[in-house]
Amino acid sequence: MKVSPSRQQELLLLSSILRASRPLCARCTHSRSRQSASPLSPPAQRSFSILNRPPPNYPGHVPLTRVERLGLAVGSAITSLTNPYRHDMIAALGEATAQPFFITRLRNRMLSDPTGRRILRDRPRITSKTMSLEKLRRLPEDTVGRTYAAWLDREGVTPDTRDPVRYIDDEEEAYVMQRYRECHDFYHAVTGLPVWVEGEVGLKAFEFANTGLPMTGLSLAAIVRLKPQERQRMFEIFLPWAFANGWRSKDLINVYWEEELETNVAELRNRLGIEQPPDLRAIRRKLKEERRAAKAAREAALMNSTTAAPAPAQSTA
Amino acid sequence: MATAARLPLPLPATTSRAAICAQCRKATLNPFKRRRFASSISSAPEIYDVVTVGGGPAGLALLAALKSSPITSHLKTALIETQDLGRLRQWSSPDDQFSNRASSLTPSSVSFLEKTGAWRHVSQSRVQAYDEMQVWDAANDATLQFDWAADSQRHNAPPQTVATMTENTNLTRGLLERITELGADSALFSSTNVSSITMGKDDANADGDGLNLSMWPVLGLESKSQSQSQSAGSDVSTTIAARLLVGADGFNSPVRRFAGIESHGWDYHRHGVVATLTVQSVPDTRHGGSYSDGDGGFDLFSDEPLPNRATAYQRFLPQLGGPIAILPLPNNRASLVWSTTPQHATYLKSLSPLGQVSMINAALRLSQTDLNYMFTLPASAPDTLDSELRWRLQHTSPPPVARQPPIVTGVQEGSLASFPLRFRHATTLVSPRVALIGDAAHTVHPLAGQGLNLGLADAESLASTIAYAVTHGMDLGDPMVLERYGSDRFGKGLLMAGGVDALNWLYQLGSGGDGVLASFLGRARRLGMKVVDGGLVPGLKGLVMKQAG
Repeated sequence: MKVSPSRQQELLLLSSILRASRPLCARCTHSRSRQSASPLSPPAQRSFSILNRPPPNYPGHVPLTRVERLGLAVGSAITSLTNPYRHDMIAALGEATAQPFFITRLRNRMLSDPTGRRILRDRPRITSKTMSLEKLRRLPEDTVGRTYAAWLDREGVTPDTRDPVRYIDDEEEAYVMQRYRECHDFYHAVTGLPVWVEGEVGLKAFEFANTGLPMTGLSLAAIVRLKPQERQRMFEIFLPWAFANGWRSKDLINVYWEEELETNVAELRNRLGIEQPPDLRAIRRKLKEERRAAKAAREAALMNSTTAAPAPAQSTA
Repeated sequence: MATAARLPLPLPATTSRAAICAQCRKATLNPFKRRRFASSISSAPEIYDVVTVGGGPAGLALLAALKSSPITSHLKTALIETQDLGRLRQWSSPDDQFSNRASSLTPSSVSFLEKTGAWRHVSQSRVQAYDEMQVWDAANDATLQFDWAADSQRHNAPPQTVATMTENTNLTRGLLERITELGADSALFSSTNVSSITMGKDDANADGDGLNLSMWPVLGLESKSQSQSQSAGSDVSTTIAARLLVGADGFNSPVRRFAGIESHGWDYHRHGVVATLTVQSVPDTRHGGSYSDGDGGFDLFSDEPLPNRATAYQRFLPQLGGPIAILPLPNNRASLVWSTTPQHATYLKSLSPLGQVSMINAALRLSQTDLNYMFTLPASAPDTLDSELRWRLQHTSPPPVARQPPIVTGVQEGSLASFPLRFRHATTLVSPRVALIGDAAHTVHPLAGQGLNLGLADAESLASTIAYAVTHGMDLGDPMVLERYGSDRFGKGLLMAGGVDALNWLYQLGSGGDGVLASFLGRARRLGMKVVDGGLVPGLKGLVMKQAG
């Protein structure tokens, strides 16, 4: 249909009058124009209600409203404090609190570093498929890969126990979270901290200083669950170590672990600027031995003081 | 008495008036008196009413304004320029080549040029008016949209222009042609150096036939050109005395130095990178293409019944030292002005054209983190920059502006250059027989594109002050006369220069890395931008736009 110029002029006038006479619709045209102006921008950035939940930004993504996010954060925090072995809850807490600022900052730190950028480009995943434990066990002593495999064997965990990221809205930031989560075991291996609550809290403090993710800081609340002696050890040894090293060392998120498997652990630690913390297992063993020795001594003293002849098999019972 | 002093007046009248007032001037002018040159000036210098030093747009506009007004056209004027103005007048360029020095002329500047008759001589096929401006900030997602077209539609008024992009050379040529048209070519002292500016000699004697020029600026001129000078082939040196000496001689103004006017300010430690770009506009997805796909699909509810002529884009990059602006030119060309650190400017200049295109496209779209990283890549490998750009675009959401910035497809060969950014403002615009206009008076940050507009407004104001003096029979160089000009322009110039500086300061907040504080400041600024854009404070946006115009 061909519209003559004068007709077009009239239409222009008409449309301007219509525009003036529909103040209610100003908002809807505005939102319409915005929506189509940026078709690529993540839809979850805008607020929505549970009735019109936007489609996921990546497979497995669950867009959350602000209320849902807050509920998830509070709920997962309480659950993981009552049961620290609920790693799914700790993961959910990590995702619920990382947005909007902290995960972006971590991503920017990756983007500022050549290796970090390479990781974001390649997007490697750490699973038992991509990282064959058989091969790692055959590596020479003191390599990162061997240490990692030895650590996995000692703690009885596998790389496949990591949950996929669901609640981070940006697709690239979700990968950063995933990467952090999958590399967590490497941090254990490099620092030598065990998976018990005590070792975990020490490592979380280290990660908090190093990555700035709020979940790692919130996890420090688990200190209240420690026994008094463990707590004292935490404040005197591990927390000072964690903050000093986490702050000073290079960003662990920018380590391309897949390429460092054959590197010497001490050399990598040196390059990153991490001192190895005291071996918690050795401390515990030593303490246990001391306790046992003390107990034996006490019992011996008790034996000497009593006149009755005790059965020699009693101490082993 | 006033009629007797009507200009041009017989010289003895002036000298006697000067003699009466000599005492009051002695105090202010004493320092210069001692600098008097008792040198080669043997004969009495020729006396001009208005001598302008500097043939830039401001100086030429002043001359054109004086010559086009019937009140002031009879004044004896001179304009001294070191460059060959004849070559500037013959400047021409193919339609797809543009000079890298282009400026945004505000509607008031254009109307002044129209009034002087010079705008007709500015090649209209090489200027580009734009009626929309998209401003956004890389540190947050806030945008400012200055859209005259939309505003005027609301009031059912004719569309209005935000500004008009003009090459400085095109403007200069237009002004020169207008001056020729007015028959004022004789006022142009082309290819001429000012060798000295001194106070004149007191030749008044008892007979009363000499002149007391001790309060008058006297300029020693040296003409470089051999062929065009009418008399001899060698360097011609002359001296002229100025009733009013106008300094339009730029940042390092010799006239300002002669007048002893101080200029204060600071260097921004930033460089302005300019270039002429080839751009390809991004198809506008806003209205589903309903309006643009022909007259058949006319959308009654389209936001934009009148086609937008062109759009200017400006993105603030606090971490990289300043904003990048893409200003439209005809034929899918655009002018780049990117304020950034000297290191980054050097890096950009060392890149191959392909690398420059990648960097400019990246600066319009990518995050500051990505840009900072790209500036650390070796300049010798433009492919790396291109691949970084392509990869990052997949993971970066497009700019939050209503109209997407154009894709830069090329940089015109040899057009990328840079210059240091400074802030300077003279402590006064006038002193006895001296007035400063343009960059000689104030040098501003280019982020609002106001430098040339300030200069033209100065010229307009000074021309009207001179006209006022002429109609009231006053001496042009008298401080009382010049004070009218000074009081009109000093405050406005300082306000504009200071306002632009404040804006620059505001947009440098949070540039110190990507820490918590920087991010907080970036977000705080977002709030401010929302206030301006969203109409929370009624009339604020209109005020900003009016000031910019």
